[in-house]
Amino acid sequence: MIEVAGLRKTYGDFAAVVDSDFSVEEGEVFGIVGPNGAGKTTTLKVLAGLVDPTEGDVEVAGFPSDDPEMRRRLGFLPEESPLYEEMTPLSYLNFFADLYDVPSEVADERIEAALDRLELDHRDRRLGDMSKGMKRKVAIARSLVNDPDVLVYDEPASGLDPVTTNSVLEFTRELRAAGKTVVFSAHNLYHVESVCDRVVVMNEGRIVARGSVDGIRERHGETTYHVFTDVAPAAGERLIEALADPDAPTEEVGDRFRTVVPDMDAVEAVRAAAAEAGGEVVDIRTREPSLEDVFLDIVGRPMPGRYTGGGGAVDETRDTAGDGGEGDDERNRPAEPPEGAE
Amino acid sequence: MIDRLRRVLRVARWEVARAGGGVDRRTLAAALALLLVAGGVLGGGLAVGAVGLDVDRDVYRVAVDGDSPYADAVEEAPALTPVPVEGADLGDTADLVVFDGGGSRTDAVETVAVRASDTRKGEAAAAEFRAAVEAHNERLMAAEENATAAFPVTVTLRYVGRTSALDEGSTLGEDDGGSDDGSGGGTGGDAEGGDDGSGGGTGGDAEGDDGDTSETAPTGGDTATDGGGLAVPSVGGGTFGADTVGSPGSISPPFPFVSLLLAFVFLVPMNFLIQAYGSSVLDERTNRRGEPMLVTPLSPVDIVAGKTLPYVAAALVVTALIALGVGGGVLSVLAVLPVALTFLAATFVGAMFARSFKELTFVTVGVSVLLTTYAFVPAIFTNVTPVALVSPLTLVVFDLQGEAVSAGEALFSTVPMALGSALLFGLGLGVYREEDMFTQKPVPRKFLDALAVRLSPVEDVALAGLVDRGRLRALGSVAFLTACTIPFVFVAELLAVATLFALPVTVSVPVLLVTIAFVEEVAKSVGLYAGFERDVFARTDRVAVAVGVASAVGFFLAEKATAVAQAVGLTELYVGRAAFGSVAGGAGLSPVTAVALLFAPLLLHGFATTVAAVGASRDRTYYVLTLALATLVHAAYNFGVVSLHG
Repeated sequence: MIEVAGLRKTYGDFAAVVDSDFSVEEGEVFGIVGPNGAGKTTTLKVLAGLVDPTEGDVEVAGFPSDDPEMRRRLGFLPEESPLYEEMTPLSYLNFFADLYDVPSEVADERIEAALDRLELDHRDRRLGDMSKGMKRKVAIARSLVNDPDVLVYDEPASGLDPVTTNSVLEFTRELRAAGKTVVFSAHNLYHVESVCDRVVVMNEGRIVARGSVDGIRERHGETTYHVFTDVAPAAGERLIEALADPDAPTEEVGDRFRTVVPDMDAVEAVRAAAAEAGGEVVDIRTREPSLEDVFLDIVGRPMPGRYTGGGGAVDETRDTAGDGGEGDDERNRPAEPPEGAE
Repeated sequence: MIDRLRRVLRVARWEVARAGGGVDRRTLAAALALLLVAGGVLGGGLAVGAVGLDVDRDVYRVAVDGDSPYADAVEEAPALTPVPVEGADLGDTADLVVFDGGGSRTDAVETVAVRASDTRKGEAAAAEFRAAVEAHNERLMAAEENATAAFPVTVTLRYVGRTSALDEGSTLGEDDGGSDDGSGGGTGGDAEGGDDGSGGGTGGDAEGDDGDTSETAPTGGDTATDGGGLAVPSVGGGTFGADTVGSPGSISPPFPFVSLLLAFVFLVPMNFLIQAYGSSVLDERTNRRGEPMLVTPLSPVDIVAGKTLPYVAAALVVTALIALGVGGGVLSVLAVLPVALTFLAATFVGAMFARSFKELTFVTVGVSVLLTTYAFVPAIFTNVTPVALVSPLTLVVFDLQGEAVSAGEALFSTVPMALGSALLFGLGLGVYREEDMFTQKPVPRKFLDALAVRLSPVEDVALAGLVDRGRLRALGSVAFLTACTIPFVFVAELLAVATLFALPVTVSVPVLLVTIAFVEEVAKSVGLYAGFERDVFARTDRVAVAVGVASAVGFFLAEKATAVAQAVGLTELYVGRAAFGSVAGGAGLSPVTAVALLFAPLLLHGFATTVAAVGASRDRTYYVLTLALATLVHAAYNFGVVSLHG
């Protein structure tokens, strides 16, 4: 449904996306993750036909991304969705349905269905008087008025409360069930993990990992074993060698001691060390790596959801030629941690 | 095409709905009330002028007998109030007393004694009385059936200020009021109405009567056309030369005061429109509100056309209503349309470049002041100089005066603005895309972006690569972009002419030549600077020369369009020759010289633009320096041409 080959997008000397290749199957939910400035939003905007690629071929639903026909088959939800605040949800959605040439009776049906599913009441209230969550729902409904085959969602749950977030994620799953192809990015990796069939991880404009979430986890993350003992294991040479992280030795957890090791041989080393100290192993648990761990492993820095402020957050869509104007100020604005992030 | 129109209308319909929803009804009501008050004040003022009310009415009390021949003179003078002689106390109940027949008397001569109070007011009353009697006598003479007896010596006075080579073409005015000799409509105040001794009609009354022109000869001043509504009254006809018959002292050159005032009314609504329009455009950019529209199948042209259409329609409706009210015709509406489009186009560009509503305010105020000046100031010289035709508002003044306008004059007045507005819309549309709409850059950088987006990349290649089709197309885009600046160059040069023509030639011509050189050099090189700054062009000397020559060729070809200046007769002015001399006034030259002169500008443009292009390929400082050098070279050339033409 989506084919991206050799995509490259530059702004002056700044390369927002470099040699990006991926494809998305029909009915698939495809995630794009990466830190700020990785090129996610630029990639999504190229898919939506908003930004022309500097190089490369992009095809969506069988049409080049600059083809108006492609736009008829696509629904786009930008990261920010300010609406025409003087309009009501119904008039706003009817306006867009009109722009897509949707017959009014069909538009009414679709709008009603979308608003019902998204549980949006107050349909005659001015958008300017609505909460952020309600506005987001209207924006999502807008992306559906033309009954698109492909949906491109940039941070669909950004800034929403947990209840609304779950509702949006559930809605995304329903879109997949309805045969829609969905590409979306998210800061919160849990969101990606919970709905995406496949993901690509981007860093500094390049795709650095790709595949199913499990596949990536397998490749980039390691299963660890948490061995609980009733005494602190004797700190012998063998135990130190067995630790998954030599800088993080055994720690006391309640009335027990936990030692994290990478494999079963190491588990045996812990068992021997505990016996040497006069105790025994009371519990062994395995822990699969989260996508966050994988992300950390791949890009070498914490996932965006754990970002705590400071400079350096780059919106890759903005001018980066160093003009010294207001754009630069905005570019250097600290990123805000998304709601619901750990 | 129909699909596109449907899409545009769809956006337009929603734009109207949005605009309606965005304005509070009370605010709208208050704005309408303000407009009504302003209109009332203006209408009241015009009405006062029309009925001849004066602020200095009934200032002096004059004691005069009711059967005195001076009673009528006192009665007719607004500043004088007649009081009975009996019981009049000089200095108390009267400022001046007229003793009719009180002095010595013979059979042939009546005598009159006038005594004024010994105060400054008394002196002023005496002066006013004298003027009133003279005016009264003038009117009596003008009303005399035997004009030859009243005016034994007649002088025919004809104002021939406006001359145009296009006058003999077809005319667009309602009637050919007074321009029967094709020498400039309406300016011919023929003091002698005819040779039959019947006089030239009654002439405009000094206080203005009903403004009816049916009995008056063409005056060249403000004359009203028959028709309903606020017909153009002959306010202050005496002052502005509405009298067609009278003593030489009472005749002054024509000045279309009221027509000008009413023409100005056409501009007032534009200020409201651009506020609403600019806000609407900027609103799309604020917080990326317009981003979802860019994902729809609509093109930026569809969106902008749809958003603009309601404002153009509103401008047309308001203009038509004003025209209906003040007695203008279709010509007025057609003349104001390009002005409205330019107001909107300049506002569109401003709103696309502005970073905030605060900046937009400066933009709209700037647009309003600049365009109002451009439209209004030249129109003041209607009937005086062809420079006035620079402004479409001059056509409105002609239309209100009921004068004919040739098709050539109408095109000359309106086409530059219409073209300019189209190009401005094109400029703004260049940045109506996601990559530019939502970025926050200073206005000059946005301007460079808008120019650069119209250029194709020019890479550095060997000389042989010049003939490559893609490269030629890229250089063609350079030439085309520069050619598109011609309407603005033309407008700027006309504005310079209009501003400087009143100054002494020794001052105006040198200043004008340098100004014009600067304007043209900027026009030719600013696009090149944008191309280098935005890395559309490779920064090499070879590329700089290539794009410099391409720009010069584009400018040279487009410049020939200014030959219309010759056609309209603008070059009859000295400053006009200075401004447009290179395309005009080739008469009397040998063919070789004429051909050399024809292509000399190409060499000049090629050299000067290449110099500026080389500077632009380096950095801004070099560009400014080379631009100054190119301007000096160009100005020197202009001096040479003007000297050659004499």
